Amino acid sequence: MRSDPSDYEMLAPGSLRAIVSLLASEPGAWLPIAGGTDVMVQYAAGKLPARQLVSIWNLPELRRIEITDDEIRIGAGCTYTDLRRHEVVGREFPLLTRAARWTGGIANQNRGTLGGNIVNASPAADSLPALLVCDAELILVSARGERRLPYATFHTGYKKTLLALDELIQTVCLPRRFSEYFSHARKVGARNAQAISKVSIAALGRSAAGAVEDVRIALGSVAPVPLRLTETERSLRGKRIDPELMSLARKSVAAEIQPIDDIRSNARYRETVAGNLVIEFLNRLSQEWATTASNTVHAVLARWNRLPVDEAMKAILPCCGSKAWAQGTSALRPLKDQAAVLAVSDEICKTLTHSDWMEAFNSHPRIGESQPSHSPQIHSWQTQSVEWSAQEQGKVSDADADVKRALADANQEYELRFGRTFIVCATGKSAPEILALLRRRLQNDPETEFKEAAEQQRQITRIRLRKWLQG
Amino acid sequence: MTDPGDSDGKVEISFSVNGQRKTVRAYPMERLLDVLRCRLQLTGAKEGCGEGECGSCAVLMDGLLVNSCLVPVLQAEGSKILTIEGIAEGETLHVLQKAFLEFGGAQCGICTPGMILAALHLLNGHAEPTTEQIQEGLAGNLCRCTGYSQIIEAVAEAAHRRTTS
Repeated sequence: MRSDPSDYEMLAPGSLRAIVSLLASEPGAWLPIAGGTDVMVQYAAGKLPARQLVSIWNLPELRRIEITDDEIRIGAGCTYTDLRRHEVVGREFPLLTRAARWTGGIANQNRGTLGGNIVNASPAADSLPALLVCDAELILVSARGERRLPYATFHTGYKKTLLALDELIQTVCLPRRFSEYFSHARKVGARNAQAISKVSIAALGRSAAGAVEDVRIALGSVAPVPLRLTETERSLRGKRIDPELMSLARKSVAAEIQPIDDIRSNARYRETVAGNLVIEFLNRLSQEWATTASNTVHAVLARWNRLPVDEAMKAILPCCGSKAWAQGTSALRPLKDQAAVLAVSDEICKTLTHSDWMEAFNSHPRIGESQPSHSPQIHSWQTQSVEWSAQEQGKVSDADADVKRALADANQEYELRFGRTFIVCATGKSAPEILALLRRRLQNDPETEFKEAAEQQRQITRIRLRKWLQG
Repeated sequence: MTDPGDSDGKVEISFSVNGQRKTVRAYPMERLLDVLRCRLQLTGAKEGCGEGECGSCAVLMDGLLVNSCLVPVLQAEGSKILTIEGIAEGETLHVLQKAFLEFGGAQCGICTPGMILAALHLLNGHAEPTTEQIQEGLAGNLCRCTGYSQIIEAVAEAAHRRTTS
């Protein structure tokens, strides 16, 4: 049965202060209405329990988007259109922009508000999983004042929230921590356009070298509330993305969700699709890493290939330390990919003279020290080299004092015997391992030892070239 | 404007419709659609689903496309409303209306007023929309006759004529 408008009262006080004092005067009696995209649907169906409404549409206090250094504060009265048009939201929270685009047609996006979507509290709402994965916080306002709480705690049960009868959502705060994350969203419904979802996902992730560094996953329509999959996230972090991880993910998702049978779908279908969506996200995440990595190499090389020769030499010099090597590699540009760079480096190494190698050796600090032993001053190009040395020797700095002392003694002995710093490809080697190598190499004759040091330098150079190409 | 003390619960609401200032006495929760159709006799906007899904009641409110079945009239106070009746200039049809006629974009006509308003809203933001942008701009407007192709062609042609004339 359609509602009769003469049964309803409605006020539009026009200011936030007047509205919260009206709400406080009779808690629960006045239903706030913003763009009406939910309230008016209930009204049309004769299912609107409230008889008194207060308009909060287009209140300036609720329609601002403020950018601070560490968060974006979105007024709860901002419409989906406001969100779609906002440049910083689009750049740093693409999940939210995408959810706004998926919510209804343009006419509803012009009227539906973010705050309304949250308060309506549908587990199928498109924007809510996006808010969950980026650790949104809400500022609630009433005549009693403001309070701020994590959005993750807001929904307490099906269509139940922490909002008090006299409160409004004033602001949705999004921390600006996730702009570097890979983001993924997908909605599965009866059709592509404007369908209420059967299952939806919003997810953020970071991966490196095929393993999960961090993931943040939320699903819609699989529980009484929009659900963040905290257990599944925990079980995925730090793991390699492989078939085994996929089956672990599917099991974990199934254990964490509570899907139901309803008019749009059934529990079994939802469980299967929820697992599929998380697996699809993980696959995309690992592809994304591979693509970004090769794009970075491509970008670094493209830039280097175009540089004048002296700048190109300067850019690549920290990878080896020998100017002849830098000149040789720069002269062979353009180089198309990482493999070509490494091959050229190996070729040039074969042509280096004794003094070229000495120049490269002298650019390194002693094992266990941080600055090159033969440079009274650090040149600007050496800053990168010093940083890489610190990474390469990372395990040495963790060594206990006895081992460090033994290394220092052996270094001194090496320098007395061969007249230069001990060169070793230290990446991944522990201090005791390096000490053992050093003691063995002290037994070498000078010519054998020079060749061995040069071979170590060639390996160091390859590792540094890979790092350099990763930007 | 609002006068909640009035005994019958109606309030006086003023807004501009198609460039003319209108004042109506209405219940604040009356739908803008009903006020346009029943109190102002502007029957171009149609009621389809009555719940914001079909777009046949679409009008522009302060330049923004809205479904008038979801707008309580109190929220239209002080706004500028544009309906299908305000699109043509006198006897001269709007470029969108002409294109709809030429390309078979209108058949039974129920969706057409909302379609044209949605298309106008789209062209106001995107002078030369891609097909995807046209599809997205009209996604909230359902048509059960045309199969949409003719409508999309009509909008593309209207955009072209507007930018080249």
